[in-house]
Amino acid sequence: MTYVRAAVRAFEMSMKLRSVNPFSNFSWLAFPLIFTVLGLLLLSPGGGGHSAYAILGGGLIGYWGMAYLEGGNEIQNERWSGTLEQIMACPTPLAVIVVGKLFSSLLFGMLSFIPAVALGYFGFHQSLHLDPIPFALSFLVLTFAFFSVAMALAPLYALSRRAFTVTNGFEIGVYVLGGFMFPISQLPSWLQAASSVLAPTWAVRSLYAAAGQPFGHEYLRWCAISIALSCGYLAAGWFLYRVVDVRARVTGQLALA
Amino acid sequence: MGRVNATAIEASRLRKVYTTTRGLLRRERKEHVALQGVDLDIKRGELFGLLGPNGAGKTTMVKIFTTLLLPTSGVAKILDLDVVHDPWAIRKRIGFVFGGERGLYWRLSGLDNLRYFADLYQIPPDVSKRRIAELLKTLDLKGREHDKVEGYSRGMKQRLHLARGLLNEPEVLFLDEPTIGLDPVGARELRVLTRSLADAGTTIFLTTHYMLEADEICDRIAVIKKGEIVAEGTPSSIKTGVEDQGIVEFEVEGLAVERVEALRRLPAVATVIVDERDLAQVVTIHCSHPGELAASLGSVLAGHQVRKVTVREPTLEDAYVLLVSE
Repeated sequence: MTYVRAAVRAFEMSMKLRSVNPFSNFSWLAFPLIFTVLGLLLLSPGGGGHSAYAILGGGLIGYWGMAYLEGGNEIQNERWSGTLEQIMACPTPLAVIVVGKLFSSLLFGMLSFIPAVALGYFGFHQSLHLDPIPFALSFLVLTFAFFSVAMALAPLYALSRRAFTVTNGFEIGVYVLGGFMFPISQLPSWLQAASSVLAPTWAVRSLYAAAGQPFGHEYLRWCAISIALSCGYLAAGWFLYRVVDVRARVTGQLALA
Repeated sequence: MGRVNATAIEASRLRKVYTTTRGLLRRERKEHVALQGVDLDIKRGELFGLLGPNGAGKTTMVKIFTTLLLPTSGVAKILDLDVVHDPWAIRKRIGFVFGGERGLYWRLSGLDNLRYFADLYQIPPDVSKRRIAELLKTLDLKGREHDKVEGYSRGMKQRLHLARGLLNEPEVLFLDEPTIGLDPVGARELRVLTRSLADAGTTIFLTTHYMLEADEICDRIAVIKKGEIVAEGTPSSIKTGVEDQGIVEFEVEGLAVERVEALRRLPAVATVIVDERDLAQVVTIHCSHPGELAASLGSVLAGHQVRKVTVREPTLEDAYVLLVSE
């Protein structure tokens, strides 16, 4: 119960910090708009329901950016403000605090679909045709996949001041490998193999199928694969948190200097 | 009585080595020894001061005791719990305050900061509510708790740090240069509060640069230099350790480096410190026969107008300077 209370408070703090920081609106507002415009201009003339890739793709990029990058960003911000040492020295594990922070990131990230859908509808007269139950299920699975990836990678930010630079590239890689804006069948086969080990890939495929893309109707199988991979990430993350707890205490990298 | 004599903080042959690497292809390892075999035994309820220049190892020691760093070798125990094997149990029973303005969520209110850490310290809501109200009152933050921290004065921020450190009613409190940057009034208030916490039974481990602070409030002090404890005892015993030394101070203008070196070579001179003040230089000499030295200054300082010559007993600061000087 004490951990739940700590996670809820971490969520509340994170929400408050975002609400007083205008830059936190950039990821969920600007990125989806930019990618949706690009997608609609490039994909819509081809017809065949490609506008779903533009609208959902823009939202997905914003959602992923918030969940993954902002989650890590929060750890980095803690380091800059000198609070990382304070929270690491508390009797509550870092993982509990990160859970609260990630829920806040995910909640803000979900907002990314609002500008993407609104722009598609009002700006380009394009709308989504969704199969509600498979879509809702796929979206939940996708959220779990994003949460798992962010959860497993967050300790790297605590471990190293340079983690941000390295993992930044991973954000863009997942746009492509996850099939956020086009089907992964368009990727070379060796890259498709890399895609298949990413939990978001399977959830995104399921999501697009529920939005009318011609992938078949294997929602449950895709969702199950995504959940299994996500659980694997969480298991790896559990190990990583244990490593961080020791390594950070050996190197003393929690502070700036 | 057993509790009074029980050890609160213990270090035995405590050593910390930081290793850094440079280069991409040809990795170059560099080691920096921050602590080299420190032994300490601090009793419950003691207010213990650790003095030392920058880089001497004070903060490293505090970070090991607060479980933020692992020692390279040796043993460190807090309330009989090992910092390596029992960090979670230790964290519940200690508090710490690092000096400076960082370490707070500036864009949120003081109350938000305290509530957050109260939950991270797993304090039940009814207890934390009462505790936060008490601390706001004791630390003179009542009425400003809903204001954003960025609008607080430096003294208020430091008091908020202290409130955070006291949330869990710690048995051992670590204060790492808590008065740094505070004005004299703020620093004095913090010293009074620190002493009253120790009088109420909290064990306090204080690191500081300020001799007056250590002399005024600490039961015992240790001086650390390059990761080694070079003196330990009560403030008066540390002063007694340099009792055979005296201090000669004088003011002079345009003293060349060669003359300072000549002063250093004089028999019985331990250290010579030259403090530049506007046009004049204030020279402080630690020596064993101050009266004789004062009389013989003329030969070394021929041609200089020497003013305000004083001979006095060493203070704790003088003892510290002697202990940490090369």
